[in-house]
Amino acid sequence: MRIDPNVVPTILADLQQSQVSLNTALQEVSTGKSVNVPSDNPSAAADMVENTIETGDVDQYTQNVNGTLSTVQSASSILSSVVTSLTQAVSLGTEGANGTNSTANLQALATQVQGILSTVVSAANTSFAGSYLFGGTSTATPYSADSSSPTGYTYNGNNDTNSVTIGDNLSVQVNVPGSQIFSNSSNNVLGSLNSLVTALQSGNSSDIETATNSVDSALNFVGQQQAVYGEAESQLNSQETSLQQDTVELSTQENNLIGVNEATAATDLSQAETDNSAALAAAAKVLPNSLLNYLAPPS
Amino acid sequence: MGGLNTSLLIGVQALDANQGALDATSNNIANVNTPGYTREVAQFGENGETQSGDDVAGGGVTLEGLQSVRDELLNIQIQQQTSQQSSADAQSTSLQQVQTYFTTNGDDIASELTALSSSLAQLSASPSSASAQLGVLSAGQNLADAFNTTAQGLTTAQSDADQQVTQTVSQINSLTQQIAQLNGQLSQVPAGENGGTTQDQLDQLVQQLSGLTNVSITQTSDGETITTGNGTPLVMGNQSFTLQTTTGSDGFQQVLDSNGNNITTSISGGTLGGAIEVRDQTIPGLLSQLNTLASQFGTAFNNAQAQGFDSNGNAGANFFTIPTNPNDAAAGISVALTNPTQVAISSDGSAGSNGNIANLSAALTNALPSGESAANAYASLVFSVGNAASNASTQSTAIGQNLTQLTTQQGAVSAVDINEETTNLMRFQAAYEAASRIVSTVQVLDNAALNMGSSTSF
Repeated sequence: MRIDPNVVPTILADLQQSQVSLNTALQEVSTGKSVNVPSDNPSAAADMVENTIETGDVDQYTQNVNGTLSTVQSASSILSSVVTSLTQAVSLGTEGANGTNSTANLQALATQVQGILSTVVSAANTSFAGSYLFGGTSTATPYSADSSSPTGYTYNGNNDTNSVTIGDNLSVQVNVPGSQIFSNSSNNVLGSLNSLVTALQSGNSSDIETATNSVDSALNFVGQQQAVYGEAESQLNSQETSLQQDTVELSTQENNLIGVNEATAATDLSQAETDNSAALAAAAKVLPNSLLNYLAPPS
Repeated sequence: MGGLNTSLLIGVQALDANQGALDATSNNIANVNTPGYTREVAQFGENGETQSGDDVAGGGVTLEGLQSVRDELLNIQIQQQTSQQSSADAQSTSLQQVQTYFTTNGDDIASELTALSSSLAQLSASPSSASAQLGVLSAGQNLADAFNTTAQGLTTAQSDADQQVTQTVSQINSLTQQIAQLNGQLSQVPAGENGGTTQDQLDQLVQQLSGLTNVSITQTSDGETITTGNGTPLVMGNQSFTLQTTTGSDGFQQVLDSNGNNITTSISGGTLGGAIEVRDQTIPGLLSQLNTLASQFGTAFNNAQAQGFDSNGNAGANFFTIPTNPNDAAAGISVALTNPTQVAISSDGSAGSNGNIANLSAALTNALPSGESAANAYASLVFSVGNAASNASTQSTAIGQNLTQLTTQQGAVSAVDINEETTNLMRFQAAYEAASRIVSTVQVLDNAALNMGSSTSF
């Protein structure tokens, strides 16, 4: 059977084929990706959409966790200092109620408790990163002095809470409104301190004792509220761990979907180079050959 | 009666015949690189014997003609495959262009959805931060831009395909005219010559034509009758039928046959079939997915806005403006808000609240009316684009291999082999030299006969 004498198209097709493999291998090695356009692997490209969005979210959730953690920690430490202040107020109240104090002593105690009250108010007005920790969702300064109020202070915030997103469909409550912690109707921190000041000033032992007891119960209440922050803190810490795992999983998934095994890619590249050189060498050998090369020129 | 003259005649015939064969060989060598050229083989025939009395003499040789060596069946197979490959190539080229818009590059829809989602999460951590609010607004703006750009990319590819339709139709018309002309010439070529160079040219043109659209070929006494795959006549005998284009109701060029019937949907194969497929099927399918996504996501996000209050305590206004025509949704979606404070962050109307961000984020993650979340719907779109592009190029590669195989077979039948021609050159040279020797020998013998009895001869 006659065979196709024209080897050029076949050689060109072979050269083109080996050039394509070479380009693919080169691109994989240089980009480190096996999927550079959707047609390289349509389903991996589609899965990568999900992966990209999820990775972006996890990054942001991680930042939120870190930011929120410092807010929560700072609120928690402020409540600790309030607890310390209140403990101090209780001991001052107990001292004032034992009936052996001179008026001057009682006045001095009243001044000290007044000082504690101011410290607590200023703690309740703490702002962190531009917003008040205990003002609910309001942007107004939570407490301002108000002589007409029985507690001496008015709450300007609201009773709402904010939650920060720290995962898909997962958020953490990051604030307890001041109205709940400091001016709750049953355990009013500011009110009880104010009554203690008034009682100490008046010098009535039983009043002092009643006021001291209510400061003590407010103290316990603040301690309980602090637990909300403790819980948030532990939730944030565990979410941070789980986000770290997510990050690892997502990047593993990304690598599985579109990554390149470097060893394989390098081998492919060197294989493609060898194939390409072989095809070129073969072309160089075959193309110039014909019977004419071996015939003596006509004399 | 035989005699020296018979030998002389035979010698001269041999000179003529071998001269003709040398010419054919030279012509083959000359056309070794001519596309569509079919090698020609000299057909020698022995002449009848002459008998006179008891003497029998051979009649010498005649060059009966040149035979083009071709296999019409292979040609038809090659034409069909060429047609399919051109179609796949046209689709592949167009989709390669389209898929760059769906590649993750920082400006694509996936990247902008990511940015919007992250900016919302960031805003939830610092709801009163002006820069976080601005982040959401600009992420929304970028997402709308990404939708616009992607829709624009698809529409551009579509109108490129439309232009290709017009160009291809005019190329088809010019080819069918030339083919009809050659058909006319072919009917005058003697049957024994197997069409010769006219047939070569005709085959070459039909091959080009089949690259433009799928054609069906019938051999008739008038040459070749060529119709499109669905039977619309293009060439009959020496007459060609012109295809026309006219702007259809969708604004795209429709292909009409010579009687004005719309044959657009029945055209398959070739560049024309591929361009029509991309323009009328593939891209509209992708555009419709994209429009559904833009419109449903935009609406969901607007609804989430409406559930909350902006930083000024006003009820949340529409975030996106979505064109009323659903076919313009992706191309025309834009951000309606002008100020970052208009992002409906608050659930209770107070400036520090972030309660509505959960609703805004949910618009990104919850299922849209299509049944998929925005991310999933976009992922499906990426899959559709990638799959279409990959199918077209895989198909092109597969047909390409098939075509190489067929071309090799055709080459085995019809291509000029330099080595073969060189051998022929030497064969005919030797025969020509030998025939010259016959003539010169007869001349010597004639002289000898004429000088018989002359003393000078010895």
